[in-house]
Amino acid sequence: MKQIILKRLAMLVLVLLGVTLITFFLSHVIPGDPARMMVGQRASEETLQEVRRQLGLDQPVWVQYLTYMKGLFAGDFGTSIRTQQPVVHDLIAFFPATLELAITAFIIAIAIGIPLGVLSAVKKDTGWDHSSRFFSIAGISTPVFWSGLVGILIFYKFLGALPSSGRLDLTVPAPTKITGLYLFDSLLTGNWAAFKNSLWHLILPAFTLAFAQLAIVTRQVRSSMLEVLGQDYIRTALANGIHGPVLLIRYALRNALIPTITVVGLSFGSLLGGAVVTETIFSWPGMGKYVVDSIAFLDFPAMMGFTFVISFGYVVINLLVDLTYYVLDPQIKE
Amino acid sequence: MSSLSAKADTAAQPSRKVNPFWFRIRQSPLTLFGLFLLVMLLLLSVCAPLISPHDPTKINIPERFSPPSAAHWFGTDEVGRDIFTRILYGARLSLGVGVAVVLSAGLVGTVIGAISGYFGGRVDQIIMRMMDIVLAFPSLVLAMAVAAVLGPNLQNAMLAIAIIKIPVYVRLARAETLALREKLYVKAAVTFGIKPWRIITRHIIPNAVSPVIIQVTLDIGDAILLVATLGFLGLGAQPPTPEWGAMISIGWKYLLDYWWYPTFPGLALFLASCGFNLIGDGIRDILDPKANR
Repeated sequence: MKQIILKRLAMLVLVLLGVTLITFFLSHVIPGDPARMMVGQRASEETLQEVRRQLGLDQPVWVQYLTYMKGLFAGDFGTSIRTQQPVVHDLIAFFPATLELAITAFIIAIAIGIPLGVLSAVKKDTGWDHSSRFFSIAGISTPVFWSGLVGILIFYKFLGALPSSGRLDLTVPAPTKITGLYLFDSLLTGNWAAFKNSLWHLILPAFTLAFAQLAIVTRQVRSSMLEVLGQDYIRTALANGIHGPVLLIRYALRNALIPTITVVGLSFGSLLGGAVVTETIFSWPGMGKYVVDSIAFLDFPAMMGFTFVISFGYVVINLLVDLTYYVLDPQIKE
Repeated sequence: MSSLSAKADTAAQPSRKVNPFWFRIRQSPLTLFGLFLLVMLLLLSVCAPLISPHDPTKINIPERFSPPSAAHWFGTDEVGRDIFTRILYGARLSLGVGVAVVLSAGLVGTVIGAISGYFGGRVDQIIMRMMDIVLAFPSLVLAMAVAAVLGPNLQNAMLAIAIIKIPVYVRLARAETLALREKLYVKAAVTFGIKPWRIITRHIIPNAVSPVIIQVTLDIGDAILLVATLGFLGLGAQPPTPEWGAMISIGWKYLLDYWWYPTFPGLALFLASCGFNLIGDGIRDILDPKANR
């Protein structure tokens, strides 16, 4: 067990190094001349050389990479061209909104996806199963930006039931900042008006973001449930008179959930990525909207900072998922 | 010989020969539906000039933002272009690009995977660690970064998506190659002194291709969505190209006043992706009965 963890940690370091290599390559090597981009086309040759020296662009590439790595370790992702703030400050400011959205979507995907998958497996080849299969394919086939737009059209424009943008109404002051997650902060401070309002604003974006993941979770739970339900110990349990929810939940689902964890863990990673589009549609002030806004300004420091942070999170989540897998499944003991 | 087998056939199946593949597809209504969707989209896009009298790029300001009507089935956009016509022409682009990206990623990935699996050792280690690194990025995030750096246009978006799709094929082809390398006919080829590249291209790749095909059909739907997503973020095809994602990218700003503008291109996108996913799912069930069932 210890060896596995050590091996995985070594892999983690290697992969993260690779991630930095790619982001460095993308931000420093490919874009041509960042100095020229900063000073503009009309600047004189001397100004250009001066900026190059300041940015360290006159150094060999490997020196530039080391400088870049040193910066990363110190939390220095450079200065955003658009906001003129250190990228790391921007990201920290926008992170809680993204996290709140991703967590809520994650909870929705699990809370609906698991029961739906179980239902589909138990009622295999019935109308339930077919509609659940169609529903999961529809889920992965729907572009996030389109389901968001349709949601706004129906629930905001036609029904007037839900707000279409932002985290709070303009008239509602934000709760006192503790974690930055509005739901959590407003609960902790007993600020019910803000709680209700932020929950209201979360529903549409969170469901939009959850839709595709929901489909993936349903599909995975269905197939692993089907596999488990065909096992001998389930038949033995049935023969011993165990049936209904006890059989399904205590005997079958517990085992079926082990492979599901991998998929669910990965889906949290994609939620962080998928937030890019959802946040843009719903004007949700998170990291995703921040990075999309920076695309128009060719703000590479902001984009690479975001890419690095998200990939870092993704790699760490993957590691945790793998380790949970080893802990939960006693059969995997190399 | 042929008359013999023909006789045997008629003896075994008195009515007519049934191809098991088509038989299985016909058994699955959802797969059939997917096939129907795709055939319809293909026909519509190929016959676009026959179906619609409008020009997909012609500006017609007096008719801007006309709601859906008999003259403009899906309404018109902010400069009066017919949205239905643009969707038809866009289908050529979206379907073509989706298929092209996945096929090239599949091809490149299979070759790399076969090399990695065949040679093993350090080559394998280096290639696989590189793939791990690419897989460490959430796909959309990496595609965005690559497309933004290379410059926002359709070719770069395609390249970016091909890059993020390659590792999956490398892994698949490598796993197959590892098994194939131990087969007698490959060992025999080695003994005869046949060059590695010839063994890889003639003996390994043709036999490793079946899981790759399943993955390709499953991936096309996703690739179409990714191309459109990059288009939506302004990193793919640029206006006035009638690409679905680029159309939605402009149209969604008008959503509340002119709902038809982003809604119909999105619907087309959904149907195309759905068609490929239904077929991919069906083919996987048929070729790989252990998975998912």
